[in-house]
Amino acid sequence: MKSTRYLVAVPAALALALAGCGGSTGTSGSGSTASGSGASGAAGAPTDDSNCADAAVFCVGLVTDTGKVDDKSFNQSAHEGAMAAAKEEGGFYKYIETQDAKDYAANISQFTNKKYDVIVTVGFLMADATTQAAAENPDTKFIGVDQNYDASKVTAKNVTGLIFPEDQAGYGAGYLAGLMTKTNKLGQVLGLEIPPVQKYAKGFEAGAKAANPKVTVATVYHPAADNAFNDPVWGAGEAKKMLAQDADIIFGAGGNTGNGALQEIAKASGAGTDVFCIGVDTDQWDTVPAARPCLITSAEKLISQGVTDTVKTAKSGEFEGLQTLGQAGLAPYHDFESKIPADVKAKVADVVKQMEAGTLKTGVTL
Amino acid sequence: MSETSTAAQPSPPAEPTPREPRDRGGLLAYLIGHQSGVVIVVALVISLLVGAALIRYQGVNPAYAYETLLREALVTDGALTRTLQKTAPLVLTGLAVVLPLRVGLFNIGGQGQLVTGAVIGAWVAYVAGGLGFVGALLGMVVGVALGAVVGWVVGVLKAYRGVHEVISTIMLNYIIAGISFWLAVGPLAAAGNSGIAQTELIPEAARLDAVAGVPVAFVIAALLAVVCWWVLSRTTLGFRFNTVGANRGAARYAGIPLNRIVILAMAAGGGLAGLAGALEAEGTLHRFQPAIAGSLGFDGITIALLARANPLATLPAALLVGILRTGAAGLQFSTGIAPEIVDLLLAIILLMVSIPVLGTWLFRSRAAKVSVASTSWGS
Amino acid sequence: MGTWVQKNRTTVVLAVVVVVAAYVFYYAKNDIAPSMFGAAWDYAIPLVLAALVGVIGERSGVVNIGIEGQMLLAAFAGFFSAAATGSMVVGILAGIGTGLLAGGFLAWTTVRWRMDQIIAGVVLNIIATGITSFYLKSGEILPGVIPNLRVPLLADIPLLGEVFFSGRSWIASVAIVAAIGVHLMLFHTRWGLRTRAVGEYPSAADTAGINVERLRMINVTVAGSLAGLAGVYLSMDASSSFERDMTAGRGFLALAIMIMGAWRPLRAMAMAVFFGFVNAVASQLQQTGGFSVPPQLTGTLPYVAVLVVLAVAAGRVRPPGAVGQPYVKKDQ
Repeated sequence: MKSTRYLVAVPAALALALAGCGGSTGTSGSGSTASGSGASGAAGAPTDDSNCADAAVFCVGLVTDTGKVDDKSFNQSAHEGAMAAAKEEGGFYKYIETQDAKDYAANISQFTNKKYDVIVTVGFLMADATTQAAAENPDTKFIGVDQNYDASKVTAKNVTGLIFPEDQAGYGAGYLAGLMTKTNKLGQVLGLEIPPVQKYAKGFEAGAKAANPKVTVATVYHPAADNAFNDPVWGAGEAKKMLAQDADIIFGAGGNTGNGALQEIAKASGAGTDVFCIGVDTDQWDTVPAARPCLITSAEKLISQGVTDTVKTAKSGEFEGLQTLGQAGLAPYHDFESKIPADVKAKVADVVKQMEAGTLKTGVTL
Repeated sequence: MSETSTAAQPSPPAEPTPREPRDRGGLLAYLIGHQSGVVIVVALVISLLVGAALIRYQGVNPAYAYETLLREALVTDGALTRTLQKTAPLVLTGLAVVLPLRVGLFNIGGQGQLVTGAVIGAWVAYVAGGLGFVGALLGMVVGVALGAVVGWVVGVLKAYRGVHEVISTIMLNYIIAGISFWLAVGPLAAAGNSGIAQTELIPEAARLDAVAGVPVAFVIAALLAVVCWWVLSRTTLGFRFNTVGANRGAARYAGIPLNRIVILAMAAGGGLAGLAGALEAEGTLHRFQPAIAGSLGFDGITIALLARANPLATLPAALLVGILRTGAAGLQFSTGIAPEIVDLLLAIILLMVSIPVLGTWLFRSRAAKVSVASTSWGS
Repeated sequence: MGTWVQKNRTTVVLAVVVVVAAYVFYYAKNDIAPSMFGAAWDYAIPLVLAALVGVIGERSGVVNIGIEGQMLLAAFAGFFSAAATGSMVVGILAGIGTGLLAGGFLAWTTVRWRMDQIIAGVVLNIIATGITSFYLKSGEILPGVIPNLRVPLLADIPLLGEVFFSGRSWIASVAIVAAIGVHLMLFHTRWGLRTRAVGEYPSAADTAGINVERLRMINVTVAGSLAGLAGVYLSMDASSSFERDMTAGRGFLALAIMIMGAWRPLRAMAMAVFFGFVNAVASQLQQTGGFSVPPQLTGTLPYVAVLVVLAVAAGRVRPPGAVGQPYVKKDQ
């Protein structure tokens, strides 16, 4: 049993190593490690959250949905937006990644205990926890991304739900796809069947049919409840199947699951000439570079900008309770700028303008 | 097939084994008599040292990190309540694995059974909310019943159709995930929430929150752990369970109704997991959302294995996991370490606790044999 | 040959019926059928590889519920090695190597240290989730693609050629070769006989002069390379990214498929394809949307089908006799 000696050696060596490290206490204890802090660059910005109660110190906190701040989706966008706002205002920023849906309230209270000025909560599942925390902490401003509040139930003035017209972005993308398709077959590979995703999907279908009545749209939602946004293999498989059934433009909307679909289409033969893909949430030209060969545009909702702007209203005093409407639309065409016919671009731009002006309704209801 | 069920031997640190070797005096003899306790302590120390190295590598002082973890899980205002609230379902899903394991069945279906109990329990407690505590009780009863039905199906398929329980439980997990999600967006969905998968909020009176800082769910879970221990070690039924688990042939020869025991064990496991679900719905989010289940069902496997299939030992095992999970968020808040660190710690702890070599190294030839859960896999 | 057919009459009849039905469907609904068979095989590829890992392990007497973790680690290592070095080959080798290492871990803990096999598997799974999640970096991309392989001649067979012999990477072909290879080796070579002996009745095998511990160590470790390849397939071929928990329970599904396949490689492959096909049917039902069954319910179809098939059709299948038990030599 030679191997048993290692068991003695390993802990002993570790103990020694730790003893040697013990002297350098404090450098890391204050909370400004790689992931936790944001505003270190700004001059005069606070470097920790010990003085958040002070009116002069602006502190922004963010609690993610059960996801991570690098999820290439709404958590990441909100995180970047909040971090940018804190930086511009010379404030301090910190986040917590929720592991368990039952920890929402506890994680929010980490920030309220330290008297943070603004707390961003991400995802509609946090609506209960957010409105409750808002009622208990009237001096703190709460921003609930993707949270749609009922005016009859939420009376607190220090909370606003930041929502986006996803259906309009979907409609624009669908309109473009309807004009571009040659096979008259479109596909949608979607994450879980939840409100934001449904709004995109129904908007896409409505837009496509408005542009081209002959078009059919094949739609699949990921069936499993957990992991529905993190299954790129499934997304790729569905995209491949749709391509084989002659769909030539596919809308991938569902976090990493949708990204799997985009990447699969980018690998397919005819990518960028006969088959195309459309991304979602952010400009995926930047977030999913592997999809560039087929990515004509993305149905964007400007979460980062929405969060940044709303956080700043909290500082400037223009904060509006209950509901804030963010922007949604189409991302730039990038390399496809020259390949998409000018009349198509003009028609799409026109539709987008009409939706912004409110003269065109998508007709999407949930 | 020699040393199948040794679950009576190992014990958590808190529960010293009753039998002591009187023939050797002194500290050494005492330690040998309590060697599983000693092994666990040594394993924990090694695990924490390895974890410390990982934390150090992240640029954080390990002592500060551990202190923060414990403070955020036990000391901070309301933290202990949250930790116990997290511990409660873990004890129950742990027991849901332990009971079938004693009969030689491996229940990977705790997740599905828990979700069943959660969605039904939440709905019943909402509908019967006007009855106050009775409504909560009804929710629990129905949660247990339907969880048990799911377990019963697995047991019947196993006993009469020979369908391996590992297959049926995995399949049922997926099936129930689909059905419960559909229920939460369809028939049982809360009114006016435009597509969000959740049931109605349970009325205040029918919720099960903490009483004097101790969650009701935890009290129930702890009581059930004791009950399971008592049944398994002090009753005829428990004897039958253990006999079937140890040696099927002998059990059949002794006239034990094999099929009935198999079905009963699975149904009991399912019921316990279902109860965990109902308690979670009534005690935490006060409604059902698919996310409520987290990974509780699968954590039950970890806990049952940490506890070496001993019902009483599920308490400390679940508490350990509860502390780690509760402290993780505070740890990230204070140090920036990603909360997954606790999963790594947990894996190392389970590894260290389960490596027989550790016992051999500490006690040489006097090392005791440890339990063998895997013998349950075959047949 | 005649006796073989007689002995396996049900299997033969079933196989003929399935093949005929498949061809009828293929020619009757040529707009959707080929893509559905393709999707079925795509879905099945990692399951076949992973199920083979389970078969080899259990045939040697070692339960492996850590396949999920092995695949996840390999997918992680493969993707990030390829991204870091800019070479797909390095990535693939790193993935397979990681699968071997994880297999070695399992072998060492369960065989040499006689640790509980289920615990060892669970530990492997938790470690894999923890490590890959903790050390994940986002924004990396693969330097290339794994090229498709078209098997000459075979690719021209209608349906079969389209699905199994063209339009897919060489990993798909390896899965087929591995399933056939493991079958032949298990039932027609000395290694196979020894392995089955070690898994059924280790003390008899020991008496016959087989080094039980060594054979188990080697088998479990080497089988890890197939799990590694399955992981590589997930992150570098079927998709082009690594995401947290992207194995999505496929390791556990593979175990179920292994049992459905009665611990036999070719039957396991058939079961994997069947499972993949029901999956394709489920998504096709959702996609055409002719009738209004919610997607959450159509999504459960494959799992319901498995349960129903097993409950109605399957007799008792018997696992290898010594599976799950560490072997202790009598004189130790």
